[in-house]
This record gives sequence, structure tokens and C-alpha cells, in this order.
Amino acid sequence: MTQAISHLDLLESEAIYIFREAAAQFRKPVLMYSIGKDSTVLMHLARKAFYPAKPPFPLLHIDTTWKFREMIAFRDRTAREFGLDLITYTNRDGLERNVNPFDFSPSVFTDVMKTAALKQALDLHGFDAAFGGARRDEEASRAKERVFSFRASGHRWDPRRQRPEMWNLLNGRLGVGETVRVFPLSNWTERDVWRYIQREKLEIVPLYLAAQRPTVERNGQLLVVDDERMRLNPGEVPLMQSVRFRTLGDYPLSAAVRSNASTLDAVVEETLTAKTSERQGRLIDHDQAGAMEKKKQEGYF
Amino acid sequence: MSATARLKTSNAPAPLSHAAMPLRSVASHVARSATSARELNGILRLLTCGSVDDGKSTLIGRLLWDASDLYDDQRATIECSKLAGKSGQPDFSLLLDGLAAEREQGITIDIAWRYFDTQKRRFVVIDSPGHEQYTRNMASGASHADVAIMLVDARTGVKKQTRRHAAILDLVGVRRVVLAVNKMDLVDFDPAKFDAIAAEFVTLTKRFGFTEAIAIPVSAVHGDNLAGRSAHTPWYHGPTLLDHLDSLPSRVTQAGGAFRMPVQTVLRDGLDFRGLAGTVTSGDVCVGDRIVDALSGQSSRVLRIATFGRDLEMARAGQAVAIQLEHDLDIARGAVLSGAGPEPVTATSLDVRFVWLNETAFDPMANYLLRTATDLVPVAKLTIEALLDLESLETRPAAVCAMNDIALATLELARPSAVDVFAELPQTGCVMFVDALTGASVAGGVIAAARAGALARDRQAEGAFVLSRELLAAGVCAGLGQSAADRAEFERRAHEVAILFGAAGVAVSLKI
Repeated sequence: MTQAISHLDLLESEAIYIFREAAAQFRKPVLMYSIGKDSTVLMHLARKAFYPAKPPFPLLHIDTTWKFREMIAFRDRTAREFGLDLITYTNRDGLERNVNPFDFSPSVFTDVMKTAALKQALDLHGFDAAFGGARRDEEASRAKERVFSFRASGHRWDPRRQRPEMWNLLNGRLGVGETVRVFPLSNWTERDVWRYIQREKLEIVPLYLAAQRPTVERNGQLLVVDDERMRLNPGEVPLMQSVRFRTLGDYPLSAAVRSNASTLDAVVEETLTAKTSERQGRLIDHDQAGAMEKKKQEGYF
Repeated sequence: MSATARLKTSNAPAPLSHAAMPLRSVASHVARSATSARELNGILRLLTCGSVDDGKSTLIGRLLWDASDLYDDQRATIECSKLAGKSGQPDFSLLLDGLAAEREQGITIDIAWRYFDTQKRRFVVIDSPGHEQYTRNMASGASHADVAIMLVDARTGVKKQTRRHAAILDLVGVRRVVLAVNKMDLVDFDPAKFDAIAAEFVTLTKRFGFTEAIAIPVSAVHGDNLAGRSAHTPWYHGPTLLDHLDSLPSRVTQAGGAFRMPVQTVLRDGLDFRGLAGTVTSGDVCVGDRIVDALSGQSSRVLRIATFGRDLEMARAGQAVAIQLEHDLDIARGAVLSGAGPEPVTATSLDVRFVWLNETAFDPMANYLLRTATDLVPVAKLTIEALLDLESLETRPAAVCAMNDIALATLELARPSAVDVFAELPQTGCVMFVDALTGASVAGGVIAAARAGALARDRQAEGAFVLSRELLAAGVCAGLGQSAADRAEFERRAHEVAILFGAAGVAVSLKI
């Protein structure tokens, strides 16, 4: 009787299989790198999939210019350390119109600086496939997502064009004008991501670990003041306290949680025993009903 | 209804702490603290099937509630449902229907995936909603399942559609089925009722290729025999549903049989390393083993099994590796490596059973490609022989097929491809049919028989344009050499040109 393979080993093998299928079937893939923990796992798996060669595709980071400074430093260090090509892209038009998370609603900001920017970057470079870290357990509208998720021209997600996937067969034959998003972490849960980071001893952005940070509380959410662009409401005074992030994005749109978990082990322990699911900390999801669903149709992630 | 449950229908808001919960969540605390320390024992993918009223979502929801690592916000939602409902029972189905209620997205074939951990292992619930497109939805979902839970109502028993479901499960390779005889509370937990249904089920399953079929008396709403043993069924001595699911081997651990590794891609590192990258789909392979490429007939020995960080002495089913051979065989994607045992068939002709998935019906004039484990082969000729009637399980001759049909067909390939018979080695014996022009996955099927033989490419129509090797080499394929990768690319381009000619209505004969 052979010993059973652990569930993390199976998930890892599956992700490697997906990476290899996509690299073999698509002409010009790219890895959408968001610097967060899922991206860290995604990139690690890509390195495993093509070892001892390097992943045959670059990293693409859509820079909204509102990432935490620690994220940008981590991004540049990571790409350099692993010798991967890093492409960064910012929506110039949005920048010129000063689209920022204070004067614009989260949905408009995301639409211009993330969704439109991503489409522009994919078109500019002619990528026909983009790896993303989306997981089916993240949110209800993603529970039905495919591993190969097809986009019609204009990056539209058309439900009628999603292909059935049976067994482990992945059909990557593109129709005219089609591109695809590839999700190697489809079957992972948030807890798996943490367990894997711990097992593989992966370095993550320090913001995931608790530390004393200047915070303000707004609408029941804890915001960290990352730089002088943070606008304080009358009466708001940043308060130093020990917080960390469960999920990272643009800094005024990511909420922190109070925590003393200052090591990876402590964070994993806290996450595995967490009592609420992770997206509560992501403000854009609360912005409007069915927000994620809508963003998906428009080409977000 | 229990007294404690009734107490909770007061107008007090639902408490969030587990301690105050009237319904025990049997294993949740244990599951959390235990799983943080170690990895789980494999993954079991399960599919539920039954009519809308049989309580599919309630059964899984209740299982999640009793035995899994739900978050408190999810538990609170269910607690609140009790305040709203009339019965005083929480609506466990919300844990699953929350997904379906994510407004009908109109996805062609929608399968919702849900994940939960018990103390022992990861469970993946594959939810394929029914409606009028039931067959293709269910077949698609069931192809991913290790075990199927078939639900029947204890008041009505096995129905016509139970047989229909069994036929689909059998077709796509589900080998283990559990009959959950639900709503036992509504027949006063009568053992005679259960025994009669269980007997009928066993008779039914004998017509198929299942290796295991058991029946369990349950009440999904009340949790009888799901995570905990029911006090109402002292006459039942079998396992609870959870015990049974926990005891089943996950798909990969039971994959024995002959060694197979479909080559996904070839990895190069400097001059010294050329690795055949793929996931072992069955059997195992060790350093020093003799390896055969059935397509080219070449063989060599395993020099190195490389994975990130460390080399392996042995790779077994489920592991993703890169194999370096002693003698560098000229092999490309599409090859299927085998060992000392039986080799895959280098097939040019196949018998296939498939489910037609696409809204557009089968078109004898269209070009199709066959997607195997890692190969994409042009189909020279696809002949529908018969359709399977899922109610009677009989076949009737047919020449066409459309959405939701299950067809028996023969096909001839435009070039040989390495495949296995599905019943023996499922992962190298399953296929998808791809529309060559749109790329759509139009059908999914299993190989019933594979034959080597002469290619069908000489079947040329009168006056067909002859696309010769010379013509292609002069232009479209200029610059390609004689390596396996280049030869494969030559064939690929030749077939792509032929596909375009065909779409333009030009009869073409490929002579390469």
C-alpha cells in the first residue's frame, strides 16, 4: 500500500500541470503579478513547473501607483532575485486625469487603473494568455470559473463562450480574437495558500506580518496611512497599533486587522483558526452589490 | 425537531460563538486546530445527484455544518435562516445554494466548486445544477468526481432518473457510488422501507461497472447518519456517510497499473539537460527504468527524475516531474511514455462514447480535432453509429447527434496518436472533441477501443486539391527542420491549412 499523497502535494502537481499545459498551448503567455501572497505562490509554482529552466514568460504588474511602498520594493527585489523579466504598466490616461482612490469611487478607480490598464497592457504586448491567482473559493461568482477562462475580443468575459472542462483535459485552442486567463490555483483555498507559504518557506511582503503601523478607523475598517497622500478626515489622528493585512491591494482600499502575529507561523496559525472569510478586508467588494461579478464581465482579473 | 432547536427561534439575534449554538457543530473546533498542524490526507471529489426535491443541497450543507471548517460568518448566515424560516430548522442548503443564487450567470454548463476540510481530508463538492441540460452538466461535473452520492427520497425510492444518473456516472468513469436514502424521518426510520430501496439500488448498479455501491439511511435536515450515528436507526450497522467518505481512497492513491506519462513540454537547461516534462498519470517510474515512446518506437533508460529543489528516485501517479533519459530521444509534446508493461496503442482508428456538449449539433462537414492527454490530432472521419437511450440503456442506430446526446462513434485520425482504453487507464483514455475553427469543446468522451492501422488520408475526393509536402515546404513550412518538434510543427501547419481550405469549401487531399 503506497502512502497517500497529501492534499498540498496534489494541488501543487495540479498547478504545475496547468502551467505546463498553458505554456505549451499558447503563443505568448504572461503571469499577472500582483505582489500579494497568491502571486507569491503562483510565481513559486511557475518556477517549479519549468525547473531547471526558467519560466518561459515574463511577469506583468499593473501599477496603480497606490500600492504600499513595501509592496513595490518587494516586487523589484523578487524579480531581480529570481532573474525574471518584469513588465510594469500604468494607465497613463488615468494618471493624467488624476484618477485616485480618494476623489473617485472604488469602482471607478478600479475600472480605470486596474481593469482598463490590464487590457491596455495585454493588448500592447500581444499576450494571448495571462496567468492569474484567482481561486474558486474566494467568492461566489468565481465558484464556477474555469481553469482556462476565455475572453472574447475586447477581453469581455462571455458566459456563453466558456468551455466545459472534463477530466484533466485543457483545451487551449483559441478562436479568432480570443484570449485566455489561466488559473493554476483554481482549487486552492485561502488556508492552502498560507499552509503552502509556510511549508515552502516563501518570503512574503512584510505587510502580512503584524507590526506597529499608523492607522485610522473609518466606517469600521482599519486603514493604514502609508504616505503623505492619505487624506485624513477632520478629527482623524493616525494611531499607532499592531496590525497586519490578510489581503493586499491599493493602500487606501485595503483594510488591516488588529493582530500581534508578527511571524509567519503566528500568521498561519491565526489564519487557519480565523472566524471570517478573507474578502471582508477588501473594500472594493463591498462597494456595490455583485461588484465582483461586474468587474469580471468587464475584464478584471 | 429538538427542544433546543425550538428554543432558538426566539427573536434574539443569532449568537456568533460556537458555545452558544444550539446545533452542535461536531468536529469544527477539532478540525481547525488539527489541520493547522499538518497536511490533509489527499483530496476526495464528490458529486451529488438527485431531483430538485431530494435534498441535495441540504445534505451537503448539513455535512458542512456538522463536520467542516466553516467560517463564523457562514455559520451566522445559516443561524439567521432559522429565524426567518417557518419550520424552526436552519436552512442548510444556503451553504450551497448561495453559489447558485449568485444570479444565473448563464454559463454554458455551469459547475460550482466548493471546498471543505474535515479532520482527515479535503473534500471538493462538485455541484452541477440540473434543468433541461442535465446530461451534459452532469457528465461534465461527474468526470471530475471520485465518488457520487445519489439521493433518493425514502418515500418514493429509486426512480427512473436514478438509472439515468447511474448511466452517466458509469460513462465518465465514476467507480464508487453511495445511495443516500434521504428523509428517513418521514417514514419513521422504517428498516423495511430502507431495505427495499437498498435492494433495488444494488440490482440497478449491477448493470454498470461500479466497483462499490452502498446505501445509507439518512435524514439530511436532522443530520442522521451524516457526520454522527443516528439514534433512530439502531438496525443500521453500516458506516455514517462521513465515515464512508473519509475511508475512500482519493483518486490518485488508487491509480495503479501500467506506467504512463504524457509529455506536456520539453525543458532545456544549457546543453546538458533536456527534460521530458509531465505528470505521471498511472503507475510509477524509477531511475534506471527502461522507458518506451510508443509513437516513435524508441526507448531509453531514466537517467534523472528532476523536480524543483531535489531529484527523485521514483515518481508515481499524481507527481509532476521532468524526466531526463540516458539517450536523448527526439520526442515532442503528445508522446506518452510507458515502461516495461503494456504500451499505449499507436492508434489511427478509435471507438468512442461521448456526450455532445455544444449547442451546435454534430456537423458531418465540419472539421474536428481530438484532444487527448497532451495531443491534438485532426479527425479524418467521424462516424456516429448509435445513440444511447439513458432510460432503457439501449442503443438505437443514428447518424447524427446533438446537445445532451450520448453517442457511440468510430473515428479515423489523420495521424497516429498514443492512447489507452478508458476502462483500463482513464487519464490516457479520455478525449475531448474540439471544433477546429472556433476552438469550442463540443464533446467529451471515452475510448472504448483503439486500433493501429493504415491512415485514412488517401480517401480523396474526385478533383480534390492535393496539398503536398513539397508545396508546404516551399512556403508555409519553410525553415522547419527534421527534429521531432519541427516535424510536429510541419504536420500541425499542414493540417491547419487543410482546415482553412475545408472551411472555404475546397476539397483538399493532404499528402505529407
